[in-house]
Amino acid sequence: MASSTTRVATDVGGTFTDLVCFETDENGASTVRTAKSDTTPPDFEQGVLNVLEKGNVDPGNVNFLAHGTTVVINALTERKGVKVGLITTEGFRDILEIARGNRPDFFNLHYKKPEPFVPRYLRRELPGRMTYRGEEMTPLDLSGLPGILEGFKAEGVEAVAVCFIHSYANPSHEQATLAEIEKLWPGVSAVSSHQITREWREYERTNTAVLSAYVQPIAERYLSRLNDGLASRGFNGSPYIMQSNCGVDSLESVSRIPITMVESGPASGFWGAAELGKLIDEPNILALDIGGTTAKCSLIENGQIKIMTDYWIEKDRTSAGYPIMVPVVDLVEIGNGGGSIAWVDDFGKLHVGPQSAGALPGPAAYGKGGKEATTTDANLYLRRINKNYFCGGEIDADMDAANSAISSVAGKLGVSEQEAARGIVRIANNNMVNALKLVSLNRGFDPRDFTLVAFGGGGAMHAVALAAELGVKKVVVPAGASVFSAWGMMMSDLRRDFFVTRLADLAEGAAKGIEALFAETEDQARAQFEAEGIDPTKVSFLRFGKFRYQNQEHTTEVLLPDGAVSDARLAEIEALFHETYEREYTYRLDAPVEMVGIHLVASAEVGKLTMAAQPFGEADAGAAQKATRVVDYALDGEHESIIYDGPSLKPGMEFAGPAIVEDPGTTIVVNPRSSARVDAYGNVHIELGE
Amino acid sequence: MDDAAEIDPFTASVIQASLVAAADEMFAVLRKTAMSPIIYEVLDVGTGVTDGDGNLVSSGAGIPTFVGVLDKAVQRIIDIHGSDAIRPGDMFITNDPYYGGVTHLNDVVIALPVFVDGSLLAWTASIAHWNDVGGRVAGSMSTEATEIFQEGLRLPAIKLFEDGEAVRPVFEIIATNSRLPEFANGDLWAQVAASRIAEKRIGHLVQVHGEKAYRSALSALFNEGQRRGLAGLKTLPEGTFSIEEEQDDGALWRASITISKDRFTVDLRGNPKVRDEPYNTSRDGAVISAQMIFKALTDPTLFANAGSFRALEVLTEPGTVFHATGTAPHGYYFETRIRLYDMLWQCLARAMPERLPAGSFASICGTVLAGEHPDTGRRYTMVEPQMGGWGATAERDGLDAMYSCSHGETYNCPVEIAEARYGLEVGYKSLRDSDEGKGQHSGGKGLSVCYRMRGNALLSAGYSRNRVPVWGLEGGENGGTNGFAVQHPDGTREDRAFASGVALKPGDEVLIDTANGGGWGKP
Repeated sequence: MASSTTRVATDVGGTFTDLVCFETDENGASTVRTAKSDTTPPDFEQGVLNVLEKGNVDPGNVNFLAHGTTVVINALTERKGVKVGLITTEGFRDILEIARGNRPDFFNLHYKKPEPFVPRYLRRELPGRMTYRGEEMTPLDLSGLPGILEGFKAEGVEAVAVCFIHSYANPSHEQATLAEIEKLWPGVSAVSSHQITREWREYERTNTAVLSAYVQPIAERYLSRLNDGLASRGFNGSPYIMQSNCGVDSLESVSRIPITMVESGPASGFWGAAELGKLIDEPNILALDIGGTTAKCSLIENGQIKIMTDYWIEKDRTSAGYPIMVPVVDLVEIGNGGGSIAWVDDFGKLHVGPQSAGALPGPAAYGKGGKEATTTDANLYLRRINKNYFCGGEIDADMDAANSAISSVAGKLGVSEQEAARGIVRIANNNMVNALKLVSLNRGFDPRDFTLVAFGGGGAMHAVALAAELGVKKVVVPAGASVFSAWGMMMSDLRRDFFVTRLADLAEGAAKGIEALFAETEDQARAQFEAEGIDPTKVSFLRFGKFRYQNQEHTTEVLLPDGAVSDARLAEIEALFHETYEREYTYRLDAPVEMVGIHLVASAEVGKLTMAAQPFGEADAGAAQKATRVVDYALDGEHESIIYDGPSLKPGMEFAGPAIVEDPGTTIVVNPRSSARVDAYGNVHIELGE
Repeated sequence: MDDAAEIDPFTASVIQASLVAAADEMFAVLRKTAMSPIIYEVLDVGTGVTDGDGNLVSSGAGIPTFVGVLDKAVQRIIDIHGSDAIRPGDMFITNDPYYGGVTHLNDVVIALPVFVDGSLLAWTASIAHWNDVGGRVAGSMSTEATEIFQEGLRLPAIKLFEDGEAVRPVFEIIATNSRLPEFANGDLWAQVAASRIAEKRIGHLVQVHGEKAYRSALSALFNEGQRRGLAGLKTLPEGTFSIEEEQDDGALWRASITISKDRFTVDLRGNPKVRDEPYNTSRDGAVISAQMIFKALTDPTLFANAGSFRALEVLTEPGTVFHATGTAPHGYYFETRIRLYDMLWQCLARAMPERLPAGSFASICGTVLAGEHPDTGRRYTMVEPQMGGWGATAERDGLDAMYSCSHGETYNCPVEIAEARYGLEVGYKSLRDSDEGKGQHSGGKGLSVCYRMRGNALLSAGYSRNRVPVWGLEGGENGGTNGFAVQHPDGTREDRAFASGVALKPGDEVLIDTANGGGWGKP
């Protein structure tokens, strides 16, 4: 076969498994196909094979296959992992249960502390101790290990986690223990904390090792079945697996440490937004992904996503949650999606979410017995969504059910149905505005300097109103917005983020040690990539330092300029820190600066997609016009609006609001006083008027 | 929208949510920028927004006993200066319980009046525990203080900024009076940054929605607080409930609580006289104890504003430990406040055992080590409260190793960070090996920690509930007591509850054991 290339991304979500397939012919012209089929728990790989078949994709012709899955996060939140035994330092087996001692719901005397994933009788200790500088204080004594493992076996433990105090500074005790476990209990699933992270904080690191062990057998089984299923259908490559750090990684590597997949779903969408930004020359982006149950957002500055290791599951204003110290894209997620339920509290106040009607019964308009009004029902009521083209025409909207749900909310509030429906949209929008502020204003960024990229099934419906609220001047709705995450996956690099804690005063003589730490970590990255068949010269690096004023705790991450760190350049680095710090916090101090650790990004391209610009046709969008109707824009009032057929919009077309674009997967609401145009890649750009 | 029209409920919701977000953002800023570990790690911090008159509008995460502090501080600042003298560009600082500081001299309040188009519409304020504000001992909290003058620098609600300009002499006086001036300066600026950021958000909010909508949203918010409080009050049994409780030092405290359909009155009159020891609290501090139990029973959600507490009335007698006057010291006021909270809790738990858990270890167990890092030579001050066991409830066992009921979003310092930062060794950190607190449901486990010194240091600490044990409920057993000991390498050991400036040498160990929670129901 000539140079035709087929790239496929599959994404297993809670309800559906999505497929996007790009075929590029020898002339660079590409065609895109999408397909959707049901997610098939517990054998999720079956859904992937189904969707390939449904999309008429022959795995034998696929050159690149990227895969994202919620299998890890589901196993965690549904408590479907395996029984884990924990081995830790003598005197510290309760660290996992003591946790951090905090009680966010602080007036509540009946607060429930999150239960540890390993009960006390399965938490065992070994003598051996390192100092914070990584020096051995007490040698490791493995004589108790056989007894511990026998006990674990007798209790039905299926995976072992190991975490010792200060292993981030010196992992040799963990390494020795792991080696001995492999000898004494061949084949058992085992992981130690330093394999996942080299940062300090023993509770966070212990919990991370425990949760990784908890999902490891499940993820390993899933990935190997997926691999076998694809191979048996003729796929002769190896799938790349989407990671929480916006990169992809090899199946083999992910099978060893699967916890890094925990937030892979949102990550691919945000990476997609960053890549889209490069394509359309928008380096500063607020990315917003609105799905059925949640809205997620993240900020991209100068083309760079931000990766952090301060990630928690099940943490909110009333619960402490569980930390997972792996590289995750910096995002804010709120329980606000199309299926979020509108409810009136005992004191007459309207709320939207976080409870969701889910896929079953779903919004009242699904006609599957849902009685409660959701954001989707309000959007239908206000005629923003076309009741005759609901879910791309696949569902007959049950407007009686939707109206009666809205009416019930209106009755509780003592307002008209229209006011109630507008209220639901406004409250939902306000929840999302506050989430967008958390990733922008709260981090010292002015949203007016950013372009809002909105995707997921619901992003385009709310984006223009959110932009107006935030002072954002431009919204971009990407082509294929509802499967944008899958597109993002195809644009991902093979990427690993290394975080290493190492204290150093930023003073004369410090550069040598810092440079050595970077060089050593880079060598480690190259070796890992090489072991997976990547030419080490093709690996590129980004170096970040984590700095703070001496005596502070929290650090500010700064991208270091290219080239080796030398004493002569420390002043330059320090100036960058002062500048970054002042932007975020309004002041700077005349105090010594120290480094707490490094963050190294290693990445290599693995055949990402190249997009081809299409020629512009005529600017008149009349050919795509399919109807007119009166649409209620909430704060902007009711207006007779032109309705456009999404698939008929071609590059170069322009039109003005008030207007609605109906795509099978999403509805774009173009508010009055804004104007839209379609770019050479099929993305819709909407400029907000004054 | 027509200006004359009444504000619609959705606009009100939007404004209210933004005010909560502003207080939360202040908290996040303070946490990330502070210098003192007790601020950024222990989060001994509160942030809040009040209206122009000092009525609490919203508060950020942090600790619940700081929620009721900021409004009282702002009201006192307005009292002292008079509203005419408060101008755009001003910022105030107070730490003195006799000048609106409410707690003790270590807790510094910074408050910024927010003006929009010339009208004073809000205050953005924060309170944070500074490591050292001078006084007779490192860390400023001496168990031997007999007058407030020995507890450090007093900042009597003065201007820190005027006309947008820093009042330099004040900064200089503060730095000169602290043993850790760089910490004081870093913490001060962190609080200034927090206030300024919320000021921006509120200014923007008023610009977008107009002053009228802003004011109506606030008044709707206070009304909702009041309605929530009253609704909760209706679920409580009416009547008068009384308690007397003996304290560790033998003193007898008393309280009576009268609940009616629309009033919750806490009468604290007739308690012991103010003392020349640092265990007094201001009246405001006692009111906070009453607010805590009132809130827990009527509306235990995070929703709290001035309206929430309208149905609460607190009666105190000037010149008593719950209403300090003169120059009485306050250093360990928080042990008095938590003892009072715990006593009011016990009083009502007896009346409604299904509604409240049995007693908890209920002490801050504040532990301060001041010394020189053996590896870097830098001076440090470690200020750590301790976790302990919580009481069992009618439904389940108590929680193991949590911070006290006065705390909230408070985090323990990781062992790995403590060892690096202070140059000491943590020998162990585990759940306490004791089965006190048995019951049909058992109390949660306390904590056992060992700090082993590598350098010289001075230890100060205050643990109440050291003699009179944690109370069980409905026949549940008591949960034991809090305490610590200093153990020397030769094996000698001194058990203590309160200590000031105890000299520790390399090899000495501080052994801490906090109480289990009380049991619920007969074992």
